[in-house]
Amino acid sequence: MKYLIEKFGKTNTSVLFLCIIFLILELIGHRHGETSIEDILFFPAFFGYVSCIVIFKIGVSLRSFLMKDEDYYDK
Amino acid sequence: MISSFPPGLIMMIGALLIPFLPHIIRQIYMMVLILLSAYALTLGFGIHSKINVMDIEFIIFQSDTLTLPFAIIFHIAAILNVIYGAHEKHWNQHVAIMSYSGAAIAAVHAGDLFTLFIWWEATAFTSVFLILASKTKRSYKSAFRYILIQVGSGMFLLAGAILLMSETGSAEFKNFDINSLYGQLIFIAFGIKAAFPLLNGWLQDSYPEASEIGTVALSTFTTKLAIFCFAKSFAGTEILIIIGAIMTFYPIFFAVIENDLRRVLTYSLNNQLGFMIVAIGIGTELAINGAVAHAFAHILYKGLLFMGMGAVLYRVGTCKASELGGLFKFMPITAICTIIGAISISAFPLFSGFVAKSLIMSALGKEGLVFVYFMLLFASAGVLHHSGIKIPFFAFFAHESGIKTKEAPLNMIIAMITASTLCILIGVFPSYFYEILPYQIQYQPYDFSHVVGQLQLLTFAAFAFICLWHFKIYPPELNSTVLNSDWIYRKMIPGVLLPLLNLINNINKKIEQLIGFMFMYIRKFFANIMIKNKVFDREVGQDTLIVIQLFIILLIFIFVWKIYL
Repeated sequence: MKYLIEKFGKTNTSVLFLCIIFLILELIGHRHGETSIEDILFFPAFFGYVSCIVIFKIGVSLRSFLMKDEDYYDK
Repeated sequence: MISSFPPGLIMMIGALLIPFLPHIIRQIYMMVLILLSAYALTLGFGIHSKINVMDIEFIIFQSDTLTLPFAIIFHIAAILNVIYGAHEKHWNQHVAIMSYSGAAIAAVHAGDLFTLFIWWEATAFTSVFLILASKTKRSYKSAFRYILIQVGSGMFLLAGAILLMSETGSAEFKNFDINSLYGQLIFIAFGIKAAFPLLNGWLQDSYPEASEIGTVALSTFTTKLAIFCFAKSFAGTEILIIIGAIMTFYPIFFAVIENDLRRVLTYSLNNQLGFMIVAIGIGTELAINGAVAHAFAHILYKGLLFMGMGAVLYRVGTCKASELGGLFKFMPITAICTIIGAISISAFPLFSGFVAKSLIMSALGKEGLVFVYFMLLFASAGVLHHSGIKIPFFAFFAHESGIKTKEAPLNMIIAMITASTLCILIGVFPSYFYEILPYQIQYQPYDFSHVVGQLQLLTFAAFAFICLWHFKIYPPELNSTVLNSDWIYRKMIPGVLLPLLNLINNINKKIEQLIGFMFMYIRKFFANIMIKNKVFDREVGQDTLIVIQLFIILLIFIFVWKIYL
């Protein structure tokens, strides 16, 4: 625990612990989704993590052709 | 007497007195105007005011279960705007905000399209002053583009209204058929104000250029008025599901790379409008309730986020992520309120976004629209990324920017705390919130599956961001311009159209010269033949010659016509 806080900081470690707690909660109760795919174990966790990475990756790749100089329209 | 006034009208008329009042009295006066306007909401449902002009009946005040939630939230937002802008001593923005809010509220109560058109344009002409209030060269240019597009939207609405009137004899503001021409014109008018894909450029172009007070007001009314109009006229129109899904999807990527945090919020606004548009497209009672609930909650939390960034802009002078950071210790209350706004928009349980968005997601699930459902789920993770984390993180934490400032003015803090409280109250007591929605439904957002599923989605998305940041994969924010659909009319069309117009102009000049030369030649030819050979027995003027020339040209034309056609 002390190692984690030293290595990742208090906030990041807290988020990590929250993630673990919400995974455990699913094991305790019965979670079902609006669609049948969502009923897969830990699906929202997986979907949330992957979505964020995908958004980041696409966003970064768009930088090369959508990002222009700050005064682009003033030229 | 006051109660038969359409709500909002009294705010518009009353705004004319604002310049003549001293500062503190002006603030109280504006509050009184809003309360007087809100009093008209107690009249109940039905048509309350009509006027007859040239045998055409205009319904200027009608209310129903759909108008009520929008009227309530517009009045609340107007009050918050007055509080938030109370530090501003000059009257010009106060007049704009009061008349703009009044126009939007009056528009919601319009019973026919002509009345709606008047308020529709009034929202444009009053709100443009909020963009001009920044007094920068960029804001002047942006305001010009803004007003052109807004008025253009009004023209579509007017054309649709006239067509509807000529076809049916009535321009009643009701449900329209998308397959009719008038329906399509009205649809485009609403679509421009709702910032549909490729029609959204004005939103990201103009809102971040407005003053810190102006952006808060702008984020409330124009786009939500469009949402109200769609809910009233195009509920259940299937194409809205596709358009809305696209709207939720693509602004996420723009928001991720945008550096100006107020512009990030406009992309986020676009994304949130997508959720509402999808719900209207579904059109069931649950979905319409979802759209209205989302619009209601969104006005509060998006207003709160804009207030937070407005306070930063007011104190620091910039909203660029690349220049901000570490402001938490100087502006803790602003930071906490912004975080509450960020948590609400991310739809964490116990906050307003959760109880509103759950209705839409459940409506999608019930209708079996699985693909759209996952698009919106993906967009939900995106919302957390760009609004839930990026906004508070880059403004108040991230790296030490070296900026030393102080907390926002008291009036701004009061407005932000009020908005934060409302976000939490709605999240904690959803049943009271659901009571003001258009349809009475039994819905419980807080069941085990909803709560755990949503918490897993959001915490793991947040964890992904933490990983990217901690391992230094997340790239630094850069001062830049992110191209958007406004590029089409700001760069592409001038780039293509101006050379094309120059070319046409040059060709035109050449043709003119050629025709002039031909006329000169023909005139000389006839003058030589006719005058020298004394064809006429009296003096011949130039007019006679021109008539003869034209007559011969006409004969040649008829000859060619007969032979070839």
